[in-house]
Amino acid sequence: MRAFLDNLRLALGTFLGNPLRSLLTLLGIVIGVATVITMMGLIEGLRTKVNKDLGRLGAHTFQLTKWPAGGFGRFNWAKFAKRPNIDMEDVHAIEMLCPSVGVVAPSDDAGGQKVSTASAETRPSVRIIGASTTYPITSGVSVQSGRYFNEVEGLDGRSVVLLGVDVADSLFPGIDPVGFEVRIQNRPFRVIGVLQRRGSFLGMVSMDNQAIIPLRVYQQMYGKEWSLAVDIQAKDPSLFRKAQDEVTTLMRRRRNVDPDQPNDFEIHTNESVTASFNQLSQVITIAGIGVCLLSLVVGGIGILNIMLVSVMERTREIGVRKALGAKRRRILGQFATEAVLLALFGGGLGVGLGFGLVFLGDWMVGFPMSVPPWAVGLALSMSCGVGLLFGIYPAARAAKLDPVEAMRNE
Amino acid sequence: MSDGSGAGNGRLIQVDDITRVFHVGGEEVRALRGVTFGISRGEWVAIIGQSGSGKSTMMNVLGCLDTPTSGRYMLNGKDVSRMSDDELAVIRNVEIGFIFQTFQLLPKETALANVELPLVYRGMAAKERRERAKAALDKVQLTHRMHHRPNELSGGQRQRVAIARALVSEPSMLLADEPTGNLDSATGEEIVRLFEQLHKAGHTLVLVTHEPKLAARCPRAIRLSDGSIVADGSGREVAMAVAGPMVAGV
Repeated sequence: MRAFLDNLRLALGTFLGNPLRSLLTLLGIVIGVATVITMMGLIEGLRTKVNKDLGRLGAHTFQLTKWPAGGFGRFNWAKFAKRPNIDMEDVHAIEMLCPSVGVVAPSDDAGGQKVSTASAETRPSVRIIGASTTYPITSGVSVQSGRYFNEVEGLDGRSVVLLGVDVADSLFPGIDPVGFEVRIQNRPFRVIGVLQRRGSFLGMVSMDNQAIIPLRVYQQMYGKEWSLAVDIQAKDPSLFRKAQDEVTTLMRRRRNVDPDQPNDFEIHTNESVTASFNQLSQVITIAGIGVCLLSLVVGGIGILNIMLVSVMERTREIGVRKALGAKRRRILGQFATEAVLLALFGGGLGVGLGFGLVFLGDWMVGFPMSVPPWAVGLALSMSCGVGLLFGIYPAARAAKLDPVEAMRNE
Repeated sequence: MSDGSGAGNGRLIQVDDITRVFHVGGEEVRALRGVTFGISRGEWVAIIGQSGSGKSTMMNVLGCLDTPTSGRYMLNGKDVSRMSDDELAVIRNVEIGFIFQTFQLLPKETALANVELPLVYRGMAAKERRERAKAALDKVQLTHRMHHRPNELSGGQRQRVAIARALVSEPSMLLADEPTGNLDSATGEEIVRLFEQLHKAGHTLVLVTHEPKLAARCPRAIRLSDGSIVADGSGREVAMAVAGPMVAGV
């Protein structure tokens, strides 16, 4: 311990004796560690956001769709396209035949639509959602002013619409649009409500640039040939698994899926949706660590170089120390400590820079980023490892020096 | 000539039939050819010789910085001739206090830190070694300069720091290599007087030098030539034999 403290003091002295040289040497490590911290911050922020945004499904709600979630992996889209659509008959069957199911909320949507009034028009970027009357229960949308459409309006297919805040603001700036008329695909709709602001998905796509109309009207306008997405809520949280099993069994029976064949539909839960994101984030994490390792190797070579120079410059000092009783492992320890301290300092600077970049990213693009503590630990451990790995050779060279020869060195 | 036969049991240093052979560019150089002598505790001995006489090799062997090719070297009752590098490091730390011609102080450390250095490798606590280093600097009357770096000290002061560093670990012997070689005559004289005081205080001193004048001040001198002992007697006699009474300053 005492030897370690002495080595630490010596290492600090050397480091502070050549601050500029030390800093330049550390550049590789600083960049490597800053990269890993920033990437981890980005991924962790993304993960938190995805979990939050995708977690709109309630605790005991799942979704039945034709298509798999996400799009992060390599999907055979042609194969999925051949699957039968999920239609209203399926929805009615679930309502009738699955005793554990409480709420069924089918919906469909079309992006890139325009909503207009006599005097104004949105850009063609509005998402039109055709939804059931039960949709607010499962989707988390709520009404800011006015009301949601009722059972009669839903079943009759009345031309009523609820506008997202962005749509309302662009068509009716400063006015409550409830009671006014808007047009979607030239069909007139009466505005009956404005939706509560929901913010953006992953900080990028606005979830307020949408309009909800009854599913029946939607299907009249956009056709029935599209598969529905069906949010299904179990009667009780304890029936969550049972409800999924009932829906799965029913759907397989309705579609005559052989027992040895996989489902030709998808059941998504919060877990299954976030799992596909986590798969992506793992790939990014590994890539980030790869970039970090590469930079650390570059930094390590810098340390190797500077330590070899240091040993050469201090050959005489090493000779004196050995003559006065320093054992080989003491000299080895002295130079190895110096290399590790150098690398650790670089790691510390890299962590600082990484946090700076994360903070900057947060501030500039409004993207929520948070650095997990393990990433800091990992980055610093990797720096230490690099310092030790690349510092050990120069240290061993120093330890092997012959004291007589070393003291003769000018 | 004094008895160099190795009969002296209980001697601090006993060197028996030491040889040291170097291989330089395929050639064999015999730096020491069967050297035998003993040094008792409290003695002050000069090892004198011309350049190439083998005195530096003798100094390295005596200082445990090198090991002999053959023969036996007993230091303070321990056979150090076949020890490993690390064992020799311990011996150097405990038994030997080095005083080098070029002082060999660490330029970035203060006088105090330089004096502390041997104690660092003994694993002594910082506070205790600081106290002992201060005491050693006091012996060479340099306490007032202890926080100065070597480049802020005169040659004589640097050599006194080196002597304090040699004394601090209370070694069995002080081994000085041309201790006045880099000093002007007045400062050299100052250092020799310091050696006289240390000798009187009971320290064992071995001086390696090519200066007959310095050897003449030692009670005993061993003269080496071509790797062998050619004279071993009182410092005055050996110095006079080398350079005559005038040069030897006797």
